[in-house]
Amino acid sequence: MTDLVKIRRGPRADAGYESPREHGMNFAAVLAETIGRHPDLELEIPSWDTPPASIDEAVWRALHEVPDPEFPISLPDLGLVYGVCVEGTTARVTVSFTASACPCVEFIKWDIRDRLLQEEGIEAVEVDVTWDPPWTADRITPRGRRALRRAGVSV
Amino acid sequence: MTPQNPDTWKTASDVPEAIREPLGRLLLSLADNKRLLGMRYSEWILGAPTLEAGIACSAMAQDEWGHGRILYAMLKDFGYDPGALEHEREAAEYLNSELLDSPPNDWPTMLALNALLDTALTVQCEALTESRFAPLHYKVRKLLDEERFHFEHARGWTARLAETDAGRTALADAFTVGAGPVLRWFGSAGGDIGSVLATEGVVDGDPDALRKRWFDRVRPLLDQVGASVPPSADLGWSDWDDGRRRTGAGGPDSDTLARVRGDKNRAMLMD
Repeated sequence: MTDLVKIRRGPRADAGYESPREHGMNFAAVLAETIGRHPDLELEIPSWDTPPASIDEAVWRALHEVPDPEFPISLPDLGLVYGVCVEGTTARVTVSFTASACPCVEFIKWDIRDRLLQEEGIEAVEVDVTWDPPWTADRITPRGRRALRRAGVSV
Repeated sequence: MTPQNPDTWKTASDVPEAIREPLGRLLLSLADNKRLLGMRYSEWILGAPTLEAGIACSAMAQDEWGHGRILYAMLKDFGYDPGALEHEREAAEYLNSELLDSPPNDWPTMLALNALLDTALTVQCEALTESRFAPLHYKVRKLLDEERFHFEHARGWTARLAETDAGRTALADAFTVGAGPVLRWFGSAGGDIGSVLATEGVVDGDPDALRKRWFDRVRPLLDQVGASVPPSADLGWSDWDDGRRRTGAGGPDSDTLARVRGDKNRAMLMD
């Protein structure tokens, strides 16, 4: 079972809430600044030899440009992306988090949304949260392990 | 699959009506207790006896809130509105242990919540790892993985306080006060809810079995400070509400309720 969290686009009229990104904020960058992520470490984005075979694959590749808020590692390389599915113009992404009380949940959702809305053919993004199965460090890819080691994290 | 679980339920709608309601209430009670227990831990982040204890309380608060978030979200499939559960209920609608109604006013009382109530919630969660209600399996495993050090914290502090007469006496008093309500929280032995959930393979163990597992785990701590626990025949069920898993018609006090609902921050609620 997944817990559907629908991310709304645009301002939320009833509470006067707007996406911080609409004010030019980048959650990952702000958090990196706040908690001191090493400024010289950049996300290693894979180079792909062939064009994506499907829009699902294009979305999957785009997620490699969404960093974890704390370390220079992409969400797929950290093993947090459990599934991608595009229905019409809606991208549905299933993710988990390293801890049940991960304080970056909202940041990560916004970053996924903002990146995927740049993809051609994607007009809406829905992020499902799952704990099935729970995330473990075994889900980190070899590229992700290299990235963490560069950042001084032993994995 | 065990013989008691001829088939599992993959979603809440697969669960027969007569079981869905008590199962939903069990999950809500776990969620409410974890959310409020997390708040109690958070109150000691500043003011615990040592810096390390404050940091441990911070970590345990975070765990409990995360578990509350997962459990409240699950209740959507049981016909509840998770946002309303978290932010819009009155005190009488909470299914929390009476031990959480008001803040503990000293560190031994907080430790009693840590040693006794937190352990009870963990024992209950352990009894759900093979539940016939399959959506619990992985989620409970995540919860239990994060709970591992909570009991270690209680054990360490019990040993530390047991070294002095004053500490031992204060903790014994707090444990003695807390033990009864925690033992009752598992449910009355003759009550429908715990028995039905056990019989149907939702929970591995009826209330008496869970009480025994809990007692086996906390007994070394109780013995270390000389705390006494009421025998199960003498738990005081006269004012017991099996549906709310508590004694009495009360609920979180007004300050606790305002804080746990987030009354001050309503304008800032996000989806």
